Amino acid sequence: MPSLGTFLLLTTFVVCSYAVAASIAGARRRSQRLIESGIGAFYLVAALMTVASAVIVHAFVTDNYAIRYVQRYSDSAQPLAYKIASYWGGLDGSIMFWVFLLSVFGATAVKVNREKHRELIPWVVAVIAATEMFFIFLMVVHNNPFSTFLTPPPADGRGLNPLLQNFYMAIHPPSLYVGFVAMTVPFAFGIAALATGQVDDSWLRAVRSWTMIGWLFLSFGLTLGMLWAYEELGWGGFWGWDPVENAGLLPWFTATAFLHSVMVQERRGMLRVWNVTLVIVTFFLTIFGTFMTRSGVVQSVHAFGEDRELALLFTIFMAVILSVSFGLLIYRLPLLRARHELDSWISREAAFLANNWILLFSAFFVLFATMFPTLSEALRGERLTVGPTFFNTWMLPIGLILLLLTGIGPLLAWRKSTLSNLVQQFLWPSTAAAITAVALLVFGVRVWSSGVCFAFSAFVFGTITQEFIRGARVRQGATGTGLLTAMIGLVARSKRRYGGYIVHVGIVLMFLGFAGQGFQQEETVVLKPAQQVTVGHFTIRHDSLSVTSDSQKQMITGQVTLFEDGQPLGALEPAKWFFNKHEQDPTTEVAIRRSGAEDVYVVLAGYEVASQSATYKITINPLVNWIWIGFGVMAIGTGIAMLPEVAFSFAMARIPSTATTSLLVLLLLLPAGLRAQHSENPQEVLVAPKSALEREMQKEIICMCGTCGRKRIGECTCALAARMREEVSRLVAGGKSREEIYQYYIEKYGSQEPLASPINKGFNRLAWLFPYLIGASGAVAIAFVAVRWSHRDEQRRPAAPVSPAGNPELQARLDDELRDLD
Amino acid sequence: MKAKPIKIAATAAVFVVAFGGLLYSTLREGTEYYKHVDEVMIDPAAWHGKRLQLHGYVVDDSIFVKPSTLEYRFQIQSNGKVVPAQYKGVVPDTFKNGSEVVLKGRLGPDGFAVEPNGVMAKCPSKYEAGPAARAPKS
Repeated sequence: MPSLGTFLLLTTFVVCSYAVAASIAGARRRSQRLIESGIGAFYLVAALMTVASAVIVHAFVTDNYAIRYVQRYSDSAQPLAYKIASYWGGLDGSIMFWVFLLSVFGATAVKVNREKHRELIPWVVAVIAATEMFFIFLMVVHNNPFSTFLTPPPADGRGLNPLLQNFYMAIHPPSLYVGFVAMTVPFAFGIAALATGQVDDSWLRAVRSWTMIGWLFLSFGLTLGMLWAYEELGWGGFWGWDPVENAGLLPWFTATAFLHSVMVQERRGMLRVWNVTLVIVTFFLTIFGTFMTRSGVVQSVHAFGEDRELALLFTIFMAVILSVSFGLLIYRLPLLRARHELDSWISREAAFLANNWILLFSAFFVLFATMFPTLSEALRGERLTVGPTFFNTWMLPIGLILLLLTGIGPLLAWRKSTLSNLVQQFLWPSTAAAITAVALLVFGVRVWSSGVCFAFSAFVFGTITQEFIRGARVRQGATGTGLLTAMIGLVARSKRRYGGYIVHVGIVLMFLGFAGQGFQQEETVVLKPAQQVTVGHFTIRHDSLSVTSDSQKQMITGQVTLFEDGQPLGALEPAKWFFNKHEQDPTTEVAIRRSGAEDVYVVLAGYEVASQSATYKITINPLVNWIWIGFGVMAIGTGIAMLPEVAFSFAMARIPSTATTSLLVLLLLLPAGLRAQHSENPQEVLVAPKSALEREMQKEIICMCGTCGRKRIGECTCALAARMREEVSRLVAGGKSREEIYQYYIEKYGSQEPLASPINKGFNRLAWLFPYLIGASGAVAIAFVAVRWSHRDEQRRPAAPVSPAGNPELQARLDDELRDLD
Repeated sequence: MKAKPIKIAATAAVFVVAFGGLLYSTLREGTEYYKHVDEVMIDPAAWHGKRLQLHGYVVDDSIFVKPSTLEYRFQIQSNGKVVPAQYKGVVPDTFKNGSEVVLKGRLGPDGFAVEPNGVMAKCPSKYEAGPAARAPKS
């Protein structure tokens, strides 16, 4: 099976490179046959990746521990769902899953747009296939999920990390990947438009719905990540500006900006360079985010492993993306001239422009702050870090301005708003905001940021309500139906506009949830039985501490009674679970009492069985549930906005409508409080290495017991490995350098066998270089073939230029270009 | 028309200067040095009063908790250099003998004063084994 998998990957790589070469050559020669064969190869890639995915899922389900990756992330005790989810649980598999999704998305995008955008398609195929090639190359040379043990494999796997064995975690990464991958399609169309010079608005129409799908899944993934952090990690919050979280947020900002600025181009023919740039930057940020989290460039509390080789490969790929796409953009600048100029700063396009600048600024700010430790280390040699406070200082005002713009934008007219127009439009929303602000002051709300947020939210609600009512009134006058019927008719007629407004309602609800954090109350107390503590208007009484156990774990549970204003509300059971064989790493089971107004969030932070006393960390999180509800509203709005595409093509119809339905079903499931379903996984607790060198050495030296299958001594659990670890520790403590330790082992065992990888020196370098040489020569070969094939065509009919006369489309383009010459 | 590029350049310059200034001033308050224990202990006095993120390993059997309170005293070390630390609050599950930690706080003459919620136990990786623990924080 594993060799079948590796073979499939290699085949996919070859087919992929053929797709790139055939498409580019076909596009340049205008050979329909080459283009068709390129598309055929492109579909074949999707089919091959599907088979390869089936192979690895089969390996997981049948517990095939001969494959390292399966052994590493699964075990026989794991429930079936998590065995399948383990596919994307690790680095190698997540890259493969990425390619699989990309190939399926790419094939769908090509199939849907094949007839409508004939000229663009070969370039779209080439760009997506080239991206796939990069990731397949990564797998083949560096992270092959199908690599096997050279010696008899272990009897059981090591299991997926218990914290990842969780409902949200199983669907959170795929959702983010779908969002990331969907952003490749707009990028491919953008590059195709630049390459062919067909930079009119038609490529935007092909791209819009894909960006919306990507955006929706990105939002969904981010929301799930927040939910997971909130319910599982037990620190009371949901967003900590961790690099891994930021990586997903960066493309979200630029995709949001693109979805808005697209409207300006459609309506006014402005911002054309800007839109292409946003598409490129969004794609770049998805790749950069992957790079940032996979290569260990940025240190994070839950950092991924450091991997310089991977970092180098990614850096090369990113440099290629940037130079090719911006090179093309500069080359095509003359074609991208705006059809109109900005007439007035008090216009809707100006509001969109402001929104775009702020979103882009947010992206670059978050990028800067996330990379700050790395940057400072590179520039000053000293590692400086910035904490969540720094992010909040900046992102709070930025978020508020964006919220306000959400309300202002729809009130302004295109081109130019007149004064009377402004008064008429702003009257009611401003009144709503003012009333809210006064009411807040009267009721004594003194948290300024949250207060401003509430007032702005009222403003946006006012705007949206006014838009709906005015639109419905006009329609009512025209059709003579009731107000409600008119409103439904209104949404049905211009779905994008009113769907967008509904998305804005969702955003406002999320902001209410964020603003609630300003009123968060927190208390940490040690309580003896029958003692109680009051936080806000809640009282928590500690009744007793219970120690129970089942087949999997031992559970220490705090029995707590919750009172609101003296009235008993019910019992809560925060707990610590000690899984068998994991006694050193207890998991925290948070008890949450949810309600629309606020969550009571109780964590059992410590306990003393003898005195039955317990330490509780109690957090009151006002309005936090509105974040999740807000996302639901946003999903509904996006679904409505995407509906028009249904009329255009049946294939698109399936994606958005089923996606929305399943999202809604998922959403209904979320608050049901799905607890983490842990399962035990056998793992030895290892002695922590005392220095960096020792830690590295534990990865570089292989256990020589001969039974455990060439595991690194840092991972192997046999007795010899323990002795070898001590030996390494002694050598390091004795001041031996890396080279001397290598030498020691080479002499002791008479060969380089105990080394995990060949020494990067002399003849051994060939072993390192070999895969790269093959990859590089492949790239050269593709370029050669592509150029050669395109030339062959020219040679064959040198004196017969393509006559535009027979082709009206070509004629129109020629006329267009000739006009530009004047 | 001629004035347009100048206008754009001037606006851009104003924005860049304004944001640069704001960024610089907030950065000065927001940054913390990220250091290992042994790097700091070469010259402890130089670091007194500065905001630090201190990286090290908890010294075995050095953790003491005052009964029925949340006051912790413990020591962290790296490469043989040891610093005593004081902390009041909740520690993450993975905080124990020998664990790799990052402490936020300030160094003083009598040891490292950890700020509230300033104990972060490092976990190897989200994708590698070991739980992604995070210190409880507000």
